[in-house]
Amino acid sequence: MFNFQTWAGAMSQTDLLFCVGLGQALLLLLAAPLFSGISRVLRAKFHSRRGPGIWQDYRDLLKLLNRREVIPAEAGIVFRATPYVMFVAMLIVAMAIPALMDHSPVPPMGDLVSIIFLFAMVRFFYSLSGIDSGSMFAGVAASRETTMGVLNEPIMVLSLFTVASMAGSTDLGTVAANIRAGAMPSYAATLMAMLAFGFAIFVEMGKLPFDLVEAEQELQEGPLTEYSGRSLGLMKWGVALKQIVALSLFIGVFLPFGGGGSLTWLAVGVAVLVLLAKLLVAFVAIAFVENTMARNQFLDVSRITFIGAGAAMLAFALSLAGV
Amino acid sequence: MSVLALLATAMALYCFGAVGSLLLRRWERAATFVAGVSAALAGGLGVVGALQVLIDGTGPSFSAPGPFPFASFTIRVDPLAALLVLVISLVTVAATVFSLSYLRDYYGRGVGVMGFFLNLFIAAMIMVAIADNGFYFLLFWEMMTMTSYFLVIFNQDREAVDAGFLYFFVTQSFSMLLMVAFLLLFMRSGSLDFAAFRAEKLPTWLASIIFLLTFFGFGAKAGMVPLHIWLPRAHPASPSHASALMSGVMVKLGIYGIIRVAVDFLGASVAWWGWIVLAFGAMSAVLGVLYALAEHDIKRLLAYHTVENIGIILMGTGVGMVGIATGKPILASIGLLAALYHTLNHAVFKGLLFLGAGALTYATQTRNMAMMGGLARRMSWTASFFLVGALSIAAIPPLNGFVSEWLTYQAFFTASTGPDFTSRLFGPLAAVMLAITGALAVMCFVKAWGLMFGGAARSQAAAEAGEVPVTMLAGMGGLALLCIVFGLGAPVIAPILSRAVGALLRAGSVKVADGILIFPGDPHQAVLSTPLMAALMICLLAVPLLIAAIHRGHRVAPRIVPEAWACGYDHDAQMTVSAGGFVEPPGFMFRGLYWLRTIQGPAAEVLDGSVTVATHAAGIVEPVWDEMAVGGSTRSVRFLGRYLQAMEGGDLRVYCLYILAALGVLLIIEAR
Repeated sequence: MFNFQTWAGAMSQTDLLFCVGLGQALLLLLAAPLFSGISRVLRAKFHSRRGPGIWQDYRDLLKLLNRREVIPAEAGIVFRATPYVMFVAMLIVAMAIPALMDHSPVPPMGDLVSIIFLFAMVRFFYSLSGIDSGSMFAGVAASRETTMGVLNEPIMVLSLFTVASMAGSTDLGTVAANIRAGAMPSYAATLMAMLAFGFAIFVEMGKLPFDLVEAEQELQEGPLTEYSGRSLGLMKWGVALKQIVALSLFIGVFLPFGGGGSLTWLAVGVAVLVLLAKLLVAFVAIAFVENTMARNQFLDVSRITFIGAGAAMLAFALSLAGV
Repeated sequence: MSVLALLATAMALYCFGAVGSLLLRRWERAATFVAGVSAALAGGLGVVGALQVLIDGTGPSFSAPGPFPFASFTIRVDPLAALLVLVISLVTVAATVFSLSYLRDYYGRGVGVMGFFLNLFIAAMIMVAIADNGFYFLLFWEMMTMTSYFLVIFNQDREAVDAGFLYFFVTQSFSMLLMVAFLLLFMRSGSLDFAAFRAEKLPTWLASIIFLLTFFGFGAKAGMVPLHIWLPRAHPASPSHASALMSGVMVKLGIYGIIRVAVDFLGASVAWWGWIVLAFGAMSAVLGVLYALAEHDIKRLLAYHTVENIGIILMGTGVGMVGIATGKPILASIGLLAALYHTLNHAVFKGLLFLGAGALTYATQTRNMAMMGGLARRMSWTASFFLVGALSIAAIPPLNGFVSEWLTYQAFFTASTGPDFTSRLFGPLAAVMLAITGALAVMCFVKAWGLMFGGAARSQAAAEAGEVPVTMLAGMGGLALLCIVFGLGAPVIAPILSRAVGALLRAGSVKVADGILIFPGDPHQAVLSTPLMAALMICLLAVPLLIAAIHRGHRVAPRIVPEAWACGYDHDAQMTVSAGGFVEPPGFMFRGLYWLRTIQGPAAEVLDGSVTVATHAAGIVEPVWDEMAVGGSTRSVRFLGRYLQAMEGGDLRVYCLYILAALGVLLIIEAR
């Protein structure tokens, strides 16, 4: 079998994995508008509309990237820098998560703490750009976005800490490998942590009841109010990238089945198809949940996130009990 | 030059700066220059000396009999002390360079005296860190409190005087606990030398009493909840470069004291000590950041963040102490390493942020964030430096705050994997507390940076503000650079600090770095590489730039519209999100925890009230002595005087009569 080793000659295992990481990031980047398009089509079907077609988001991005920008005079450096910062942070996470392989392609960044803080980095700049634009909607949205972080980050930390302590490592690749090998001491705790983390990812993706992605001036897209043209294109792409990366993180850690274990062309190719299939299933499942839920008043959100926090606590308690 | 010579020269320079500044107080420009430059030079020497000790992993000591027979003047610069000297000196250099222009705002209000107290304050802090004798430690400790008290009340307004009083009252009353603890140690060991304290094997009950006494004694100085009430009042009241030193550095000496006594003297032999430190740390972290969120005064906000970060440092220290007590050397090392690293990092970014706050007050003459806005375009350097500080304190990778919080998380993780049930229970819970703290810090600094630098100007002063002078920028820029260096340089810095921890624990140091990687003792648990992360960030920036470049959007210059969209209404700066509005959701969701503060407010008032009663009572009691001792004699003298006065009628005939009477009396006496 033709494999990477012969192709790459002198390249070491680490370098090869690094290349896989880069490829994984590019794959997710290119697939992001496709999956956000699929979400839009699915929502249209739930509304009994025909919908725009799954390629519409590519067309939207292309159109926006070629448009001239309109910037309020009050907007400053953070407003201009945020689209790029968002891309960079999410691409790094996309490289580090165990999505194609059953371990992290770039272990020095595939640690759960690093990943959570990279998400925090996106949140920081995304919210700040909202305030920096001087728009009143964006300012309120920035407040809500950071509040969601306060409610959501503890759930992510506790659920991942629970599985990590059972796997003996905070490296998400090692956690995934342990789950794949069925080596977790407590299945109930793993399952509960999966539910809690899935909940947190659902929130992180900005889905109902926390948001409605297509409506502007709401939580998720609020800070986008003043963006236009090329920057808006980059921001929209960045948001789509964040969604798909967050979902791949969940899939990579908690559903690490069917992916590539070895570094051969065939294995990696199969892993790409498996990942896309899993993402498709996940997006469809999320569409079901999202489109059957009502929207809540924002100040009540903390009550809903208590469900997630409760699930994470339960997972933690189960892992302590060792059942 | 040897380390001791360097430090002695630094001390001499601080004293020279202090005295020179005092002598030149009539020529304020010269006084500022002498005080600032000599302190900056001394700080530089301190950095060199401290780095030498940290890199060698061992330091010199010095002892002289001194004037008192019961205490010899002993100095010992071990790596822990050297780290503190490094922290003090780094912030000193930046703050004093900053002060060269910043103090222009204070001309005419006694700048020379301020220089005197500031230099002595820094010298006292360094002496506290390197003193190796209980008596001299307390002596310099008191000197540090006294000199900083004068910095707090410098503004002489009601707020400053009240804050100074509260500060003095709290720290003085809690330093009594330290004296008691040191006396207890003295009674057992018969010597006030730290070496004797270290050698003493104490029974557990006595060790526990000493631990609790020093934990609360030092904790009050460190500003941990619930002994923090003085901190958010005292730190904002002083001039900003002094606030940077107080908030960035002085509180660390409280941490230093806790580590020195609990780990070095008492050997952290009991597990519940560590849990207590961890619990108070977690409480300080969460409540500190929550209260910071509600502040609209930038310096008060930063002061509350000091409470938060002290909490994070205490959490690391606590989990490390648990590691020592339960016989897990890796947990002990990583916990203490995280604490020491965060001590260093917090000094750097909090120093930077306070200097930034100073620059903002210099430019806009207000500390109220709601009165700023839009300053990023008028003060772009200050804005960039402040952004670096904000990103660091919010633990955004790959800056320094992230590295030390990462290590703290790893310490919690190490705790949660052992067989010990208590550790497995509290390790992840501590991580959750840290996660809440981190997310709230993100929110808080989005608000702070956004309201001050983003959007439109909200006041006339903000609209007319200009960039600050170059020395102020240099002070901030140096610290901003250090935020980046201590973040990206983690693979170099972590092993040095790990060696310091090893020396403290009197054990071998744990390997925490290899090449460009750092890991918490065990590379299978986790690895991190901030330099790699930074390099990747720069490389991956090519992706969005490329996407932007190959499309037409960039060929047309953006159209600048005068204002943001407001649904067709005229845009008004009042429409944008306000400081209160921004934090309303957490205020609603965590109202229970804010309630704690509202009951703590009255607690501070009760304290204030009791102080008023005490001074009033003293006013009544004090004259009683006066009355009894002096009053009697003065009254009789006055009584006599009144009669004598009656005799002096001023009538010539009466005086003649007196003379005749006197003559008569003399004749009678003579006739006998």
